[in-house]
Amino acid sequence: MKRQSLGRGSSSKKPTSLSTLFSLSKNSTSSNPSSSTSGGRNSTLITGTVVTSPSTHISSTSPSTHISAISPSTRTSLAKDLSSYKKKSGILSQKSSKSTAAFRSMPPITDGVKLEVQKIINSSNIVIFSKTHCPFCQKAKDLLKSLNVKFETFELDLNDKGAEYQAALKDLTGQGTVPNIFIHGKHLGGCDDLLKAHSDNSLKDIINKMADIPQYDCDLIVIGGGSGGLAAAKEAANMGKRVTLFDYVEPSPIGTTWGLGGTCVNVGCIPKKLMHRAAILGESIHEAKAFGWDVPEKVKHNWQTMKNAVQDHIGSLNWGYRVQLRDKKVNYVNAYAQIVDKNTIKAIKKNKTESTMTAANILIATGERPRYPDIPGAKEYGITSDDLFSLPYCPGKTLCVGASYVSLECAGFLAGFGLDTTVMVRSILLRGFDQQCSEMIGKHMSNHGVKFIRGAVPTKIEQVEKGEPGKYRVTAVASDGAQIVEEYNTILFAIGRDPCTKGIGLENVGVSLNPNNQRVVVDASEKTSVSNIYAIGDIGDGRPELTPVAIQAGKLLSRRLFNSSFTTKVDYTNVATTVFTPLEYGCIGYSEEAAIEKFGEDNIEVYHSYFMPLEWTVPHKEENTCYAKLVCNKADHERVVGFHVLGPNAGEITQGYAVAIKKGATKEDFDGTIGIHPTCSETFTTLHVTKRSGESAEVTGC
Amino acid sequence: MNMVRTISVHGYEALTKALSGIQGSVYILFSGSQDEYGVSWCPDCVKAEPVINKNLEKAPSDATFIHCHVGDRNYWKKQDNEFRKDPKFLVKCVPTLLKFGSPQRLEEEQLFKDDLIQMMFEED
Ligand SMILES: Cc1cc2nc3c(=O)[nH]c(=O)nc-3n(C[C@H](O)[C@H](O)[C@H](O)COP(=O)(O)OP(=O)(O)OC[C@H]3O[C@@H](n4cnc5c(N)ncnc54)[C@H](O)[C@@H]3O)c2cc1C
Repeated sequence: MKRQSLGRGSSSKKPTSLSTLFSLSKNSTSSNPSSSTSGGRNSTLITGTVVTSPSTHISSTSPSTHISAISPSTRTSLAKDLSSYKKKSGILSQKSSKSTAAFRSMPPITDGVKLEVQKIINSSNIVIFSKTHCPFCQKAKDLLKSLNVKFETFELDLNDKGAEYQAALKDLTGQGTVPNIFIHGKHLGGCDDLLKAHSDNSLKDIINKMADIPQYDCDLIVIGGGSGGLAAAKEAANMGKRVTLFDYVEPSPIGTTWGLGGTCVNVGCIPKKLMHRAAILGESIHEAKAFGWDVPEKVKHNWQTMKNAVQDHIGSLNWGYRVQLRDKKVNYVNAYAQIVDKNTIKAIKKNKTESTMTAANILIATGERPRYPDIPGAKEYGITSDDLFSLPYCPGKTLCVGASYVSLECAGFLAGFGLDTTVMVRSILLRGFDQQCSEMIGKHMSNHGVKFIRGAVPTKIEQVEKGEPGKYRVTAVASDGAQIVEEYNTILFAIGRDPCTKGIGLENVGVSLNPNNQRVVVDASEKTSVSNIYAIGDIGDGRPELTPVAIQAGKLLSRRLFNSSFTTKVDYTNVATTVFTPLEYGCIGYSEEAAIEKFGEDNIEVYHSYFMPLEWTVPHKEENTCYAKLVCNKADHERVVGFHVLGPNAGEITQGYAVAIKKGATKEDFDGTIGIHPTCSETFTTLHVTKRSGESAEVTGC
Repeated sequence: MNMVRTISVHGYEALTKALSGIQGSVYILFSGSQDEYGVSWCPDCVKAEPVINKNLEKAPSDATFIHCHVGDRNYWKKQDNEFRKDPKFLVKCVPTLLKFGSPQRLEEEQLFKDDLIQMMFEED
């Protein structure tokens, strides 16, 4: 049956209003009077005759693609609206079983339903979707039985979701009738196609070929149980695939290890945001006085108490992941994995026992580990973020080496606990981020007790005293050649992270790496230079190194791998992010300097303003510290290509705007949006000072 | 074969008493108490118990299994009852099975699943 263009052609345009839907449904009933259907269960819509003939068709104009964009709850109310609309317009009163049937034939095809169908298709070598009373289905089953081959039957009419599944099948294969036959995951067709394949002897070939397909231990092996690996493994398992996930944590140089979940959960996002929170609370306690709280002059922070609470939470997350994997039947192995050949993995357990396992597909998601400088004493006496969050003792006077966000964030919360904290950087802060905002972060930190040593690098570290913490002498050299010597209790290196692509056997199969940074070269579908080997997360060359990015990549990859009708790839543009320094910094898109380079100075208009959070007024916090900036492309209707905010809860502010930027919001769209008062975020709806004008962006008074 | 030691207690006081001085790993199952007719107010607890019992043999032989009946429904529904508030337990729902002093816990329908319970009893 030919697909009509109505449903398809406009499927990229999602309906924006009820009226769009109305007109679509009207069309589907009136313009396609010949369509009939089989038993659906959209009882909210209609109570009509159920037609069950073996050759029933789902309406070819099924606007399901549209409806699928609507959440289930709105769908129900839409359905009600639609039926009352239809009653009013007299469509139902015609008692036309045909229009009724066409209307019945629009079960929503959600992604969930598609996944369920794919899971059934994957569940066996031969799968027949059939109906119990359908003679053609019976014929097909009889034939297969006579050939003595094993097959699975799924009776659509015995299942609650039968109609939805049938619609999904139609969407997937173009065939809306039963029987709908799949051999080894590939669509064969209906009864006639099966008979034909049998009569020209190709059926035997097809079935025999299945025997030739090499049988692997699993459909997917995932190396690395971090953000990306876990997401991919769980999604593949959701689709009924056999998945093994290897995760192994190499202890840090001072011996720190952790549980399942990867960097974010154990030594990244989670503990750092909680410690950031601990520091912010300390600040709030002082502000509380101005709001009437009777707070003692001196409040003290207890590192151990915080550390234990944070680690307890992480422990429950580690356990939670194990429960999820077990529940979804993912085989989790706590072992270090290496690729032997394109289908084989060698796994080495902690006790050095080795085993091998094979898979049709391999996913590398091994993440990164902190880099140490090549100077004496670095690995013996220094620590990194891998150690800090579980450090059994308070780090004391700390030197954070590096200008990365990890360095600044750690320095920020350590200073917040009242510790003597210094940041040593070679040149600029937060390379790649907007430099104006980066400098403002630096200034704010300096004003809040963090010392900065700019233009210097450490050259050696010596132990002065053992202890917890010990005492170490750091020698550094400044760019003018001057030597700087200072003692610290803790030296934290945060000078960058290296991808874990060494020692995992990539050379055995020829997975290409970018020689400059050792990251895995991947295409838009996360495929490496080897056709059945994929890479996601931090190790992917050019990928934003963020947890939600890795998760999205893992999830979509598994869907594409195991559901041939699913093609969505990750959209890596305009990914929002936030740096959790004491003054949070959220951003989307281009930095001001990158925008100028890309679009040309003349085309870039920058709107900006400082703002004073209302909450800061009563405790008299500093003015002209929080900042909002929109970078717009004049050559393209002042489309906002860069969004930057410095202020409390910048992460919470930025996430929502990420949707606007993804939808291509212009400065006019921002101006036309009415703010929420009193918030910080409302500043973005009233920006009017351009940088070009030279007017002051400072705020005075209220 | 060595089997885990099984103790049954009623109420918070009895639980804390039972816990004092126990060696080895301790698993605690929190479930709703039965009324005078032997009927539990917590159907999920009734459903979970046989699954857990069946898998007890998988627990380490030096372990102790405490079945703690938390009390009647009214007591349990109080949001500030001892089981919910004590930082050692922080029980959010019944049935809950936890490994004492560890982050490992299973709740409600997770306790209908053999392999999840076995995972908790496995030593890691
Ligand atoms: C201090 C810090 C703070 C961060 N904060 C944020 C934040 O606020 N927001 C954010 O979005 N991102 C943040 N990130 C980044 C985020 O943690 C990473 O982007 C994310 O974890 C990447 O996921 P992944 O799956 O690529 O790798 P990972 O999560 O690193 O997981 C890789 C896993 O593979 C294991 N492994 C490696 N090799 C092998 C092998 N051969 N065999 C078996 N297992 C192996 C590793 O031990 C690890 O468990 C932060 C990172 C750090 C370091």
